[in-house]
Formats: sequence, C-alpha cells, structure tokens
Amino acid sequence: MSNPSKKVINTICPYCGVGCGIGLQVSDGTVTGVEPLPQHPVSQGMLCVKGWSSAFALDPYDRIKTPLIKENGHFRPASWSEAYQLIVDSFQAIKQEHGPNALGLIACARATNEDCYAAQKFARTVLGTHNIDHCARICHSPSVAGLRQTLGSGAMTNSIDDIEKADLLVIFGCDPTENHSVLGGRMIQAQQAGTKLLVVDPRKTRLAKLADLHLQLNLGTNIALINGLINIIFSNGWEDKTFIEERCENIDALRKKVAGYPPKRVAEITGVPVDQLHAAAKMYSQSERTFLAYGMGITQYTSGTNNVIAISNLTLVTGQIGREGTGINPLRGQNNVQGACDMGALPNVFPGYQEALDATSQEKFGTAWKCEIPQQKGLTSLGMTSEALNGRFQGMIIMGEDPVVTDPDQNHVLRALEALDMLVVVELVMTETAKVADVILPAAAFAEKDGTFTNCERRVQRVRAAIPPPGDAKTDWQILGELAKLLGYDGMQWPNAEAVFDELAQLTPLYQGMSYDKLELDNGLQWPCNDATPDGTKLLHSGQFSRGKGRLIPVDHTDPAEMPDSDYPLYLTTTRLHYHYGCGSMTRKSPLLERETPSGVLFIHPDDARKLSIQAGTLLRISSRRGEVETRAVVTDDLPPGTVAMPYHFKEAPSNLLTNTAQDPVTKMPELKACAVKIEVVTEQ
Amino acid sequence: MNLSMTPQPIHLVDQYDDGDHSRHYTFQLAQPTSEQIQPGQFFTLTLAGFGEAAFTYLTAPDEQGRFQALIRRAGVLTSQLFKTETGTLLGYRGPFGSGLWPIEEIKEKRVLLIAGGIGLPPLATAIEALLANGSDVGLIYGSRDYAGQVLKQERERWQQQMPMIETFDQAVGDQLSGTPLDHLDAINQQLGGEVEAVLTCGPEVMMQAVGRSFTDRWQSTDNIWLALERRMHCGIGLCGHCYLGSSYVCTDGPVYRWREFLKQQKVM
Amino acid sequence: MKSYLLDSLENLFQHLAVSHKMFEPQSIPGSEDLHWLPSPKGPTSRYGTSKQVLPLAPAKGFLFPERELLFRFDGQTFIETLPEVAPQVLFGLQSCDLCAIAYQDQFFRQDSYYLARRKATILVGFDCLTPCDGGFCSTVDAGPFVRDGSADLILHPKGNEWLLIPASEQGLNAIQTLNLPPAPAEWRAEREQQQAEVAKMFPTDSHIRTGIERINQATISAEQWQRLGLQCLTCSGCTSLCPTCSCFTTFDTKTEGESNTFVRERCWDSCLYEAFQRETSGHNPSKEAGERLQRYWFHKFSDHYVDEFGRYGCIGCGRCEETCPGGIGVHSIMRRLEKES
Ligand code: SF4
Ligand code: SF4
Ligand code: FES
Repeated sequence: MSNPSKKVINTICPYCGVGCGIGLQVSDGTVTGVEPLPQHPVSQGMLCVKGWSSAFALDPYDRIKTPLIKENGHFRPASWSEAYQLIVDSFQAIKQEHGPNALGLIACARATNEDCYAAQKFARTVLGTHNIDHCARICHSPSVAGLRQTLGSGAMTNSIDDIEKADLLVIFGCDPTENHSVLGGRMIQAQQAGTKLLVVDPRKTRLAKLADLHLQLNLGTNIALINGLINIIFSNGWEDKTFIEERCENIDALRKKVAGYPPKRVAEITGVPVDQLHAAAKMYSQSERTFLAYGMGITQYTSGTNNVIAISNLTLVTGQIGREGTGINPLRGQNNVQGACDMGALPNVFPGYQEALDATSQEKFGTAWKCEIPQQKGLTSLGMTSEALNGRFQGMIIMGEDPVVTDPDQNHVLRALEALDMLVVVELVMTETAKVADVILPAAAFAEKDGTFTNCERRVQRVRAAIPPPGDAKTDWQILGELAKLLGYDGMQWPNAEAVFDELAQLTPLYQGMSYDKLELDNGLQWPCNDATPDGTKLLHSGQFSRGKGRLIPVDHTDPAEMPDSDYPLYLTTTRLHYHYGCGSMTRKSPLLERETPSGVLFIHPDDARKLSIQAGTLLRISSRRGEVETRAVVTDDLPPGTVAMPYHFKEAPSNLLTNTAQDPVTKMPELKACAVKIEVVTEQ
Repeated sequence: MNLSMTPQPIHLVDQYDDGDHSRHYTFQLAQPTSEQIQPGQFFTLTLAGFGEAAFTYLTAPDEQGRFQALIRRAGVLTSQLFKTETGTLLGYRGPFGSGLWPIEEIKEKRVLLIAGGIGLPPLATAIEALLANGSDVGLIYGSRDYAGQVLKQERERWQQQMPMIETFDQAVGDQLSGTPLDHLDAINQQLGGEVEAVLTCGPEVMMQAVGRSFTDRWQSTDNIWLALERRMHCGIGLCGHCYLGSSYVCTDGPVYRWREFLKQQKVM
Repeated sequence: MKSYLLDSLENLFQHLAVSHKMFEPQSIPGSEDLHWLPSPKGPTSRYGTSKQVLPLAPAKGFLFPERELLFRFDGQTFIETLPEVAPQVLFGLQSCDLCAIAYQDQFFRQDSYYLARRKATILVGFDCLTPCDGGFCSTVDAGPFVRDGSADLILHPKGNEWLLIPASEQGLNAIQTLNLPPAPAEWRAEREQQQAEVAKMFPTDSHIRTGIERINQATISAEQWQRLGLQCLTCSGCTSLCPTCSCFTTFDTKTEGESNTFVRERCWDSCLYEAFQRETSGHNPSKEAGERLQRYWFHKFSDHYVDEFGRYGCIGCGRCEETCPGGIGVHSIMRRLEKES
C-alpha cells in the first residue's frame, strides 16, 4: 500500500537565541506537531513551551497570502508585479528628489542569515545607503558596542556546554528559565549536580529563588554594584594578578575609579547589604571557573553600554575568561539576532563586523558587489523614525519586525511610519506595523524556508523547509532579489539559499570555512570558522583577545534618565514572559499559551498594592509622561516594593506606550528597563 | 449520558436581565430528547467560534425541549452570549454529571439550602424537586448586595412556599447582613427545628465554611452536600481539566457529599 | 493461541504491507534520533538482540493525535468529523509502549475519534532482550517482554529466527495466509524463563519503589512539592511525551466564508500549565506549581487508579527524564523524594 506523506524535518526552533534542535512533524503538507531531538548538542531532547507549541504558530489561517496594497485606507489583494511596480516607482521618485538617504530598511532578527545578508546588501547596493538596522537595537546593541571596546568581539565568549563545566554560574539581569528555558534548565540541572549559583536581579526570579546567593539590587544600579565588587576584590587581593599583567591594559585607571566605590556607599546605592557584596565578590573571584551570563536587565538602560563594560571589567580582573567554563555570555533575545549582526544588518558594519566607512572594506565589498558603496553614515532604526518625523526620510522597508508594538514610545513610532511616503512591510500576519503600511508583501515563515540561523553561542545551524509557504508568500531574499532586479541591480539573483550562503561565507571571514555540507555534519559550526579553525571555535579569546589586550575601562554609576518623583512615584520595568516571544504574533496563536496569560498584566508588590487598595485582578490605569494603558494587577513579592513590571507582548496593553525613549549615548539603545509611572484604580461598571 | 463531542442545535428563545451582569435564558432544543434530567446535572453551550462552557439547568427540558438557565457574564463566551439575539442557533451538549442532589435520600428530612451569589441557580432544581415532594425545606441566600441577587421571579415564588432568608455582605437599610452561617438559628426557628441535611452552592470558600460548620455542629460529615465548579472541556471524563483528587467533577460530580469531597482533597 | 516460527521479518513485513500502511521508528537526515515514520522499504535491522532505543516521541499520536478535528459547523448544523484512517501497522513497538496503548485503550474506550484510529491499527510488538537507557519497565510491570493482550502480534528473537505469537483475533487474521509453520513446542516456556533473566539486567531502581511508596502514603509535604515545583518550567514536555498522558483542551477556529462557520479541534494539554484548572472567575484549584507537579505524579503512581486500569499510569519509559529541562523527570524526582523528606 502507498505510504502516507508523514515526515519529520530536522530544523531549528525559531523562538530564541538558544537555537534548540526541533523536529517538525509534517502530515500532508501541514505541520501537525513537534518532536525534540535527543542528540542535538544544545537542546539534548528538551524544548521550551514555545518550541512545544510551534505547530500552532505555523497554522496558516491568519497568514497573509498575497501582496496587499492600501487604497483609501483599506488593503486589497494585488499581484506581485503590481505591488513591486508601486514600490519601484515610489522609491525611484524619493531617491531622485531626496537622495538615497531618504530610504532605508529594517531587517529582521528572526529571519535567516541569508535573508539578513540580502537585506543589508539590498540597502547598500540597490538603495545606496547604510540605512539598515534590525531590532538588536532594543535588546543587545550595547553588548556589541561594549564588548567590542573591551574584548574586540561582541558575542558570547564561551559555549552553552560550558554551563556544565563551571563551578559557579553568575546570572545578571535576566531569568534564563523564562526567556531561554532550555539554557536555563541546563543551569538548574548543573546546580542540582553541585555547581553554585549567584543571581543579580531586582526581581525574585525563579533562578533567584533557587540560587545559593541572590543580590536583589535596586533598579538601574548595576555599575555601582559591579564597581563595588571590584573594589572588594582589590582590597582583598582576590584579583588574578598574572592575568591582569599579561592580558589586560589600563588597570590603574580602573583601580582609581573603583576606589570611589567602597562597600558602604555601594550598599546605599544598590540596597544590597555589605556582607552579601562581600560574599559575592569572593564567590566570583575565588571560584575556579565562573560562567557569567547576562540579559536585558543589563542592556536596556541608558547606561547599557557602560553596564556591559563594567561586567567586562569584573570578568577581566578576576581572569574568569578565556578558559572553558568561564566567560561573558550575553543571552540574546531573538533566534537570529547574532546572525543579523554577523550579517551586517547594522548601519555601521558590513558582514563580519567590517567597518562600513573603512576604505579597505568599502573597496572589498564594492568589488564583490559590483557597485558604488555609499559614503555617508547610516541611520539606526530610531534615527530613521526621527528623520521621518523631520520630513527627511520618506521610504522604508520593514522585514518581519513589529516596531509599533516592540519599540519604546509607540506613539512616536506610529507617527513616524504614518509620515512616510512609502512603507513596505514584509510580514507573515497582519501586525500593528503592517496595518500602517502602504504595501504588504507576504513572507515565508521559518518552517517554509531553507537557510541558517546563528545561535547565541555563535553556532551556525541549518534551517530546513518542512512545508511550502501559503499562497504567494516568498522568502525575504527572493523578494529583495526580485525588487533589486526591477530597480536595476542584477547582483541578487540567487537560485537557492545555499547560493546566498556561499556568497556571504566568502565575504565574511568569521564564516569563511562554512558550507551547507559542513553544517550538516555535526549540527552546525561555531564561528570563527575558517582555514585556521576549520572545525569552528568553542571558546573565544583563549590565547589573546580579539583586539589584543583586554581593555579595562572605568565607568561610573548614573541614575536612569527618569526616576520616580512625586508625580510618577513608581518605577516601571518591562519584562518578558516565558510563554510569549517578541510582540507575540507567533506564540499567541496557541490556545494554550494564550490561555496562560489572557491579556496584559502588571506585576506589583503587595506593599504597594495595599497602599493603593489593589487586589489581584483589579483593573488599573498606568500612566507615564508619554501615555497610559489599562491592565489588570498581579500581586507578587517577586518584585521589590516601589517597582512595578509589565510584559511587553500585548497589543491590548502595550507597555511601550509608557516607556522612555531616552537612549544610551553610544548605541542609541532606549531605556526600556526603567521609567517612572503612576497607577490608579479604574472603577469597573 | 451523551458521549459525543459534537453539539446539537439549540435556539435561544428568550432572555431577560436578572441581577448584576446576569441574565435569565430560555433555550429550545431543536430535537427534544426523552432523556430525563436529574437535579444537579449540567450542560454545555457552544457559541460559534467562541468555544464552549458548562452551565447548570434551572429547569429540566419540557416535552418541547425548552429549558432555562441563569448565566452570569464572566468571560469571553458569556460576553458573547450577552450580545446574542433571541432566535440565534447555538450548540448544546448534555446532560452531564452523575453526582446529583440526593433528593431521595433527604426528602423526609428537614433540609436547608445555602446559596452564595451565583450559586443559587444550581440549587434551583433541588428546591423544585423538594418542594414538589412536599419536603420541609428552607433557603438562606447570601449575596454581595441587592444588585448581586439573581432569580428574582423564582425567589418571589419560593418566598410563598418555604422559609427564606436573604443576607448581604454590604447590607443597606434594614437588609440583613453577614454570611449565611450567621442566620442558622433564625432559619431553624422558621423551620421549626434543627435542620438535618444541608445542600450548598457558591464560592468554594463559602462552601468549605458551611461544610466545616455543620461538621462541627453534627459531629458528622454525612448529610452535607456541595456542588463544585471546575474548568471543563468535555463533560465526559476525558479532557482531564476538572480533576478533584482521583475523581472528575464532570462525571463523579458536580455534587459531592462533603465527606467524599474531603477525601478527594486529601488523597493526593 | 498457537505460536509460529518465522524465519524472516522481511516476509512478515511485506505481507502486512500489502494491505496496510507501515510505520516504524527510523532516523531522519541530520540526526540519528528515532522517530515514528512511514516505512516504505521494510524492517530496519535494529530488531532482535541489538540494544534497544525508544523513539523519544512515542506512538501516542497515531491514536490520540496532538491536534484532532472534532466537528465543523456550517452555519446550520454541527457535523461530526470522525477521522478516516486507512489500515495501518505500527511495527516495532516495545512492551512499555504497548502497555501505554493498552492503558489508553481503557481510558478512551468510549471516545469515537480514538476508536476510529485504533480500529484501523495493528500493533506489532518485540520483546526487549536488553534494558534501554533510563527505562524501568520491569519495576512497573510493563516489560521487558510484551504482555499478553497488549499487542496483536508478538515477536521474540530466537537466534536468526523468530517466535511469532498472534495475540489477538486481528493479529491472527493478519498472518493467516502466510501459512507459517508452528514454533517448536518448548519456545514458549523458554521465553518465560528468559523474561525473568532479562528483568534481572535492569538497575534495582530502589528510588522508584520508595517514591511510589511515599506518593501513596501521602508523606510528601506541600513545601517539598513546592520546592520541586519551582523547577518546573511548564514546558509541557513531560505530558507531551508521556505515552499515557491524555489531557486535552478544545478550541475553535473560524473558517473562511460564512461569518459564523467554524471548526472545533482538541489538542494536547498539560496539567503542569498554571491555567490548566483556572476558572473564568480567576479561582484556581491548583494555583501553585507544586500542586500541579504533585498532580502529575499522583496520576502516574497512585494506587487509586489501579482499580480502573489494572496498573500504574507510568509504564517506565523514562521519556520525561530525558526531556525535562528542570531536572525533575521520573528518575530525578524519585531520587529527590527518596533523599529529602
Ligand atoms: S511518567 Fe515518565 S517514565 Fe513514566 S510513562 Fe510517563 S514519560 Fe514514561
Ligand atoms: S517536563 Fe519538567 S519542566 Fe516541563 S512541564 Fe514537565 S515537569 Fe515541568
Ligand atoms: S470536563 Fe473533561 S474530564 Fe471533566
């Protein structure tokens, strides 16, 4: 008898930077379920709740299946050629009138490397501008900026396997069990097997509750805390003198700076008692191998870059880097944010972090791409929206991002997008951002395309198509290639994803030794992978740092840009929930995940709740200087008194109507982790 | 018991407001069944595309297949129901439940019913059965406030047929205040003697208080029954949501003898 | 029933394949893990004496799929949508998984969707001659040899040949026309003996026995459950992979066309989810993670269910141990229950 078309496709889970292996069960052309993969080196047979529900995210019922053109405020289906023509005419007119810098592109950190590569190539060759960015801005650009200054490379220095090799795990400003569950789970298991656990977080996260020591510091006091720890380390002689001598520079300046952070002062600023500071400093410096991981509780501040530098200082003076089981390990949000950065979907760098305005790089890419490389500095995504409001930026393509929901200060973004002459959104479903587009182009989802993702440990892994895209939908690189041709550029006509990869590998030294065949062999390769390291690199900076010596850079504590005052007496911080991801457009399609947190919520400490007569479920109005939202209360002592928290996944209660646009001066990273709000109870009818 | 997961067509034929966020509904089955509905049983309603939820019968379906239910607006499905016009086609499954109000066992006893808020409708079929039997029966009905009371017409009729005390958390004027348990002596007096059996339905904390109080009073857990609410997705003991210890509320309940309830709470 | 001598698995396989779709655990490109997949070519070589590996995802989904259409509504009527399943063979089931199917057969005995799938399915089981990693079937009476009545056909390796035991009407009918010779008379007795020997090869698993005892004596405090519950990341992996887990939820999806047409599906649910029992009012009888974890293990190991099912809910496959990111799968949790009181 003929056999049914049931198969299992081995691919990579699309929900976070951990990069778990996932088997998609396919029956008659639809994904009906998932299976974990026991032999995958990262996930080892585990998945998180989002991975387990992926079959729902791939449900085609709400997918955009044809190009859509907005007419009189409504979308109507259109053919590809009609939609393309509209874009081409508009972009050409804008370019003619205002020059190439009035155009730009936002790539997607969820898309494949191939897509991201195509996106930045499209911007730099076809549009003729470095106006190319993606959402790393709102999660980890400070990591890249900070660690490039101190170490020379912004990526996770070690590998996920090092969790099991460490004696001490230090988790700063994140809860991997919520946002990177499989990695967080491996931390729990390591602790069960005897590894010590130290958590630094204003919230009592799950890991904080399990930890051997939890430093519950005040919001926005990371630098003071770290300087304080280094101060204690120096005064006890716990630093690694040989390591500092041989591999670091600028130690004197750091010594001088941290001298200004004696334990007592630090305890005052951070709210962490001196004895705990002491214990933490000892644990960190005296353990044989300390693996440090951090997340957005470090980066999403106006001091984001300095926070990262402070962490780097701590790691360097104790020599907890460059060996197995140690290192500085930023936990990245979206599945391919590492890849999007590697691919140069950033205004300032080409693929492989080659400077966009550097003459040699320009020459290299100009020759390879057969085009003039633009000379003018590119804009970040926030730069593009600001310029749009100033009338200097008119045309934009957004690939699979939903800045209206995920960016800080929603009103600002919305006004900026509405001010554009031509907004093209390449999307799976009708997001809030897509609603304001002039043209929507239907994109293929991860299960519908071949390509690669790069996870947080720099592992480049194969993504494999399991099902065909619905309707007319296409892969990003195909769409951009077709548009490029119509706009007069021939250099983006690839026959398949592998051809894109081969081109990008050739131009990206970090990826040079990789090919689809080699990636097949051992569940991917970790960069740098080239002639010198053909099997990839598990550990960065072992002999020396990418930049040579590790640079110690003194940094000072600064208050968040907006502090509570009498008008807005509470701190608001934004969080993520385990169940959802980004703006929730994928995960909210699962009836189970949707049930778990039915609509937006605000977390508040019982003391604050009592003062305001708030109970679980009370409807609240939360307002800041920028806007207000209504949502329901969850009372929990997982937060310190005086601080409230909101997840940012829900369009019904977008926390980003409230958050501050104040930015990190280096990376323009907005301060999503702290702003001042007030809360009122809404009387219900 | 109907084991199908597929609903039958039913029409919404009448509705009127009856208490805060609450409405009195009459439904009509497209194909009346001869199946008898027992006091305590429940059914489910399906609203096209909004899911399914369980409700108790206020009256059993008559020969034309008409029956009533009192429904409070609480979630997505009930909000949609409140927007639904009379005449609309809905889906129905039922009857469900084998844990019933023990009419046979208690009909010769002096019976007290204790209801809290929206817990009154599930007791209605028991009240009617006991009254029809001529049993000695009284009701204490506790609500948050006047607006929170439901089943106005029914209560007016019951008022004529049995002793009834209404009490409020937020009493105003000459309303009685306090919890139902505060008025035991009064109802005993009106009934002309100590009650011998208690049926209760309302918030779980209230039912637990009732259970404990009568256990103390009688030094026995025998003659106390309560009706439980649980999240339900099937009604036939398959979906697993309504577990209580080793039992399923949909099939073993929704009415439990207090003793059994305590046992199930403790088995785990 | 009579038993037969089978000299080649290939013959049996091809014979069944004439009128059935064949499924077997197999690996896929890019990985060596086993998955239940259509088997176009014939039996893989793993059977017999080689070390047993269980596919991490059990065959549960063939009978109780992750998502199942229940009915559709065309605006006027509700139309039940029973699955139409062509005759199929699940070839290569181990005893533990067969016990799980027998358990599900009991549980879903009146569920028309399950029955529609089950009736079309022939189960071919193999005796395991060596323990698998993490398995403890012998401790929970689920293996290592296939239990009577749990399979349609039982295969037991005998050197290069096989003892084939038809264990149901359906099984017997399926092989009738093969005209196999009877098996040597002493093979059945030898099989009994060997089962006892293989069972001895398993670890003692004292932690499992102690854990079961403690669960049934209810001597585990709420605090201890709560401590363990902290490690549950509510991934739903244990319930998805556990071959005896059966909870589901229902949900509606509007269909294109008429405004109120829709379909209702059911999909696997997990008792570990916070909102599994949460009611519309917000009341939640199992609000704490510890309570939910306790529920899971109660359901797997409580004597209360033995009356109905004739066995515990756990069949000893160890899948939850392998997939639990929080380190509280069956071995870990039972060890903690043994160690911490
Ligand atoms: S509880 Fe764990 S070991 Fe037992 S049957 Fe389920 S998955 Fe297997
Ligand atoms: S596998 Fe572990 S973490 Fe996941 S739901 Fe089960 S107990 Fe919780
Ligand atoms: S409602 Fe499904 S088991 Fe009770």
